[in-house]
Amino acid sequence: MSAYYKNNRSEEDQGYHDYSESEDYPDFPAPLNNPDDPRTRRNPYSAGSRVSPDYPVSLAEPDYPGSLSNPDHPSTMNHPFSATSRISPDYRRSVAEPDYIELQRNPYHPSSSRQPDSSQFQQNPDVAYSRSSGNHADSRTNPDYFGSLPEPDYPGTQSNSNHPGSRTNSTHSGSRRSIEYAGSRINPYTDSLGEPDYPGAKNQHNSSHFWGEPDYPGAKDYQNSPDIWGEPDYPDAENGHDYGSSEAPEMTRGVLSRTSSVQSMFHHRIDGPLVIHRRENEDYPENIEMTSMEMTDSYGHSLPGAPRKGYVNPAYVGESSPVCAFENLMLSECDWHKSPEGQKLIASLIPMTSRDRIKAIRNQPRTMEEKRNLRRIVDKEKSKQSNRILKLNCCTQCLHSISRAYQRSKNSLSEFLNTISLWQKTLKIIGGKFGTSVLSYFNFLRWLLKFNIFSFIVNFSFIVIPQLTVAEENTLQFTGLEFLTGAGYFRDTVMYYGFYTNSTIQHGSSGASYNMQLAYIFTVGISLVICFFSLLFSMAKYFRNNFINPHIYSRGIAKLIFCWDFTVTHEKAVKLKQKNLSTEIRFLKTHSNPGAVLLLPFVVSCINLVVPRFYSMFRLVERYEMPRHEVYIILIRNIFLKISIIGILCYYWLNIVALSGEECWETLIGQEIYRLLLMDFVFSLADSFLGEFLRRIIGMQFITSLGLQEFDIARNVLELIYAQTLVWIGIFFCPLLPFIQMITLFIMFYAKNISLMMNFQPPSKAWRASQMMTVFILLLFFPSFTGVLFTLAITIWRLKPSVNCGPFRGLPFFIHSIYSWIDTLSKRPGYLWVVWIYRNLIGSVHFFFILTLIVLIITYLYWQITEGRKIMIRLLHEQIINEGKDKMFLIEKLVKLQDTEKKVNPSSLVLERSEVEQQGPLHLGECDAAPGLRFRQSVQEDNSRA
Amino acid sequence: MGSKQTVFTHEQLEAYQDCTFFTRKEIMRLFYRYQDLAPQLVPLDYTSCPDVKVPYELIGSMPELKDNPFRQRIAQVFSDDGDGHMTLDNFLDMFSVMSEMAPRDLKAYYAFKIYDFNNDDYICAWDLEQTVTKLTRGELSAEEVTLVCEKVLDEADGDQDGRLSLEDFQNMILRAPDFLSTFHIRI
Repeated sequence: MSAYYKNNRSEEDQGYHDYSESEDYPDFPAPLNNPDDPRTRRNPYSAGSRVSPDYPVSLAEPDYPGSLSNPDHPSTMNHPFSATSRISPDYRRSVAEPDYIELQRNPYHPSSSRQPDSSQFQQNPDVAYSRSSGNHADSRTNPDYFGSLPEPDYPGTQSNSNHPGSRTNSTHSGSRRSIEYAGSRINPYTDSLGEPDYPGAKNQHNSSHFWGEPDYPGAKDYQNSPDIWGEPDYPDAENGHDYGSSEAPEMTRGVLSRTSSVQSMFHHRIDGPLVIHRRENEDYPENIEMTSMEMTDSYGHSLPGAPRKGYVNPAYVGESSPVCAFENLMLSECDWHKSPEGQKLIASLIPMTSRDRIKAIRNQPRTMEEKRNLRRIVDKEKSKQSNRILKLNCCTQCLHSISRAYQRSKNSLSEFLNTISLWQKTLKIIGGKFGTSVLSYFNFLRWLLKFNIFSFIVNFSFIVIPQLTVAEENTLQFTGLEFLTGAGYFRDTVMYYGFYTNSTIQHGSSGASYNMQLAYIFTVGISLVICFFSLLFSMAKYFRNNFINPHIYSRGIAKLIFCWDFTVTHEKAVKLKQKNLSTEIRFLKTHSNPGAVLLLPFVVSCINLVVPRFYSMFRLVERYEMPRHEVYIILIRNIFLKISIIGILCYYWLNIVALSGEECWETLIGQEIYRLLLMDFVFSLADSFLGEFLRRIIGMQFITSLGLQEFDIARNVLELIYAQTLVWIGIFFCPLLPFIQMITLFIMFYAKNISLMMNFQPPSKAWRASQMMTVFILLLFFPSFTGVLFTLAITIWRLKPSVNCGPFRGLPFFIHSIYSWIDTLSKRPGYLWVVWIYRNLIGSVHFFFILTLIVLIITYLYWQITEGRKIMIRLLHEQIINEGKDKMFLIEKLVKLQDTEKKVNPSSLVLERSEVEQQGPLHLGECDAAPGLRFRQSVQEDNSRA
Repeated sequence: MGSKQTVFTHEQLEAYQDCTFFTRKEIMRLFYRYQDLAPQLVPLDYTSCPDVKVPYELIGSMPELKDNPFRQRIAQVFSDDGDGHMTLDNFLDMFSVMSEMAPRDLKAYYAFKIYDFNNDDYICAWDLEQTVTKLTRGELSAEEVTLVCEKVLDEADGDQDGRLSLEDFQNMILRAPDFLSTFHIRI
């Protein structure tokens, strides 16, 4: 043997270089790293001395086919085992060699892929050994598996269009063999093919197990593969299908035909324009090559006959960014993108814009490695494509870089905005302790604060600052009481309408002029318009998110169970929530029809509407089935209360104060609103610190049955809305009102936060937080903001500004400032377009009539579309149910069919199995999976001969 | 900025940004949170991508998860081997899915996995029982739990196969607007 080794060594030298690092090579007789060697050692033991002479020969085989032969090792192994050892030399010389030569001539891709596989083996020699000890065919078959798995990829990568056949054959694990089979008169080779009959089939089974086995490091990387390949979902999922089915030997017969179709599919794919396939597919070898680069290199050297092969891999290696070398090992764990689905995904990602692509990648339910990998692949593919295209088109390139820069700047902007987002931590604590429902109040508060900050900035920069530049001396005394009354000293400050000048501000003789009248009306108008749209959009957003499908909206038990509030992190809150949930579940169990009870609260609310005075008393009597209904009722009552308060106030202001002939009535209204706001704020503060505190003392010390109170979201939110309404109304009369509201909101946040932490317990009611937010914004929009718009419209169009103060002094109506502006503009030829726009669009009744009509038509159309969608959704829902029934029916039928088949033909299966078991120890065939009928036959022939 | 460079390379950070719903800053914050869990285990230099896993015991002791009845499931679902030990990637993945920005479908997918206790890709009656028991801390009797599970299946099982598939689950989640805001862990 040693002589043989020596002899062979000279010729094998290169070959072994391939498979193992050079330092392992000297150990060759027992090199740990070489998977072949252990086998060679073992073979003599198991197969006897007679085999050994052949054995080295078979060992030699790997060399001349070079990398190709690596997977052949197992097969050559098989010879000695299958008691045809003597044949194997023949085979080698007469049959295999020509084959290989041929293969070499046509750079045989599978080989290149196989090689790395073997190296993979080398990396995990221990396991291979442990496996192979009893049944080392396993270990051997694994390389085949590995080999055959990446094979399909390789054909693509090497783009050897001449030999798609040979390639695809190889994908069937039988490729090599099938060639040989065709060429060789000796069938031992086909042993491995005929595995289903042979003991090999069993091995196959084992090896397919291997895949999933995590303790097998080599296979571990490929763990996913069996899933992908074996899954029936991918009928075209390469030969993996065969592997999967090979467990049931009788099924393999059919497999062959299937694999042929797979072949054709492969051709298709390879020839197709989808470049991606190659790239992702190559991942298998990539990993391996990356991990042992020298291996691939030497591999390249060792194949002078087919140098191209050797270098193809490195080429690909080079392609994949070396930075990610470390990733590649992990990468193999996420081979999913090699699956047709993954490829489809990648193909769909490529034409996307970078923004959409990132979004799509982010939304993939994959692990980080997979996403990162996907991103890398797609990016590379994209850049490759764009390189091709953009060479001609530098304009696109320019656009590309611009879009990238834009992307980056947007990222940093959002980062910046995130850093200034207020109270992140406090909100987290509140959410953790009280859940999302209470959190929604604070979110709303924060949202309003942002609103006010915006209004303040606009007002301050366009109204206050210009006014400050021409401010006159304030002669009034400051006493301190003004903070409460808002009058006195403050009357002659920028705070109120009356202080603003009606003149055109001009600094220096040639400086730009600033028309205060116009600035005032436009600033207020534009800030309100922006508020309008942002309200509208956020309302629409919430509606879209929360009422996607209102008609199938049901309050079911399932939602309760699956909508655990993950934001809650406080231990007590978690326990309380769990307790509440169990009560609610019990409750829901007994009340299966929640729709019917809706009627009562509605009627009651109507009655309460008629008799608003008594509603607080009614509350004591009312009993609501659903806790939410009570909340809504309170909400509605409170809204009516607030609306009536504000309505009466507005009436008073617009019809009494404005017409009273009082000097500078706008400032008076501003002061009044200021006082209202301030009072409201003081009362809220007092309520938080005294009322709620006292309530807690009472609840804890005196009347313990009351217990801790719960945070009344509805009431608090309505307070916010009320204050915001006042601010909006007052914005015209007191431009600095948003600033005041800003401060109050800021303080309120902390006050409420402290009060909440001290005096309240988490809500026991099942709040629907997201819905609450929608309702809040709806309320803010509908009665509040629209009401404000009405009020201001009346003010601007119908009321006479005071004669002696304010920017509009002397005008018959506020709107006249616009009219006169248009008149002056119409005298200037450069601004005629503004005049035209005003006359024909803004000032024209006809235009608004047409616009309204169009909007109505669009609304109607959308409404119809929504109706159609609703029907569609219902149908689809029914379809889902029907599909389920179909599935059940088919499964039943299948089970029945299988049962009958078993009954009819119980013996064949048993027979085959026994055959397999019987010959198991002898023929440790490869566990390849394309064992067709003809192979079986040939094998049987061989058997009989033997 | 300086610390960023030493922990991650620019490419790494960019990849993380593209693969999660986080900004650079948040990624760094999460990294430090992760590092804080096991300071002696996690290096402060991730440029070479060390293969470090923080054991579940430490992950589960985070204040965000500590009292969550599903903490073990969350960790299992997001860990590589389903054992709850998490690499930094897993950790980022977890919080990315749980973040405010993650879309409904993604959240639903992972929620489904979390509730699928036996990992058979279906939420069966047994999974539901586990869920209900965890949610109610065993306050319900066995019959009640069974009844609830039956009801849930009755309600959400679109194809009537006695268990909830991912589609069933997503379909049901669609009707639960709160899901988006509740399947959310703030960091």
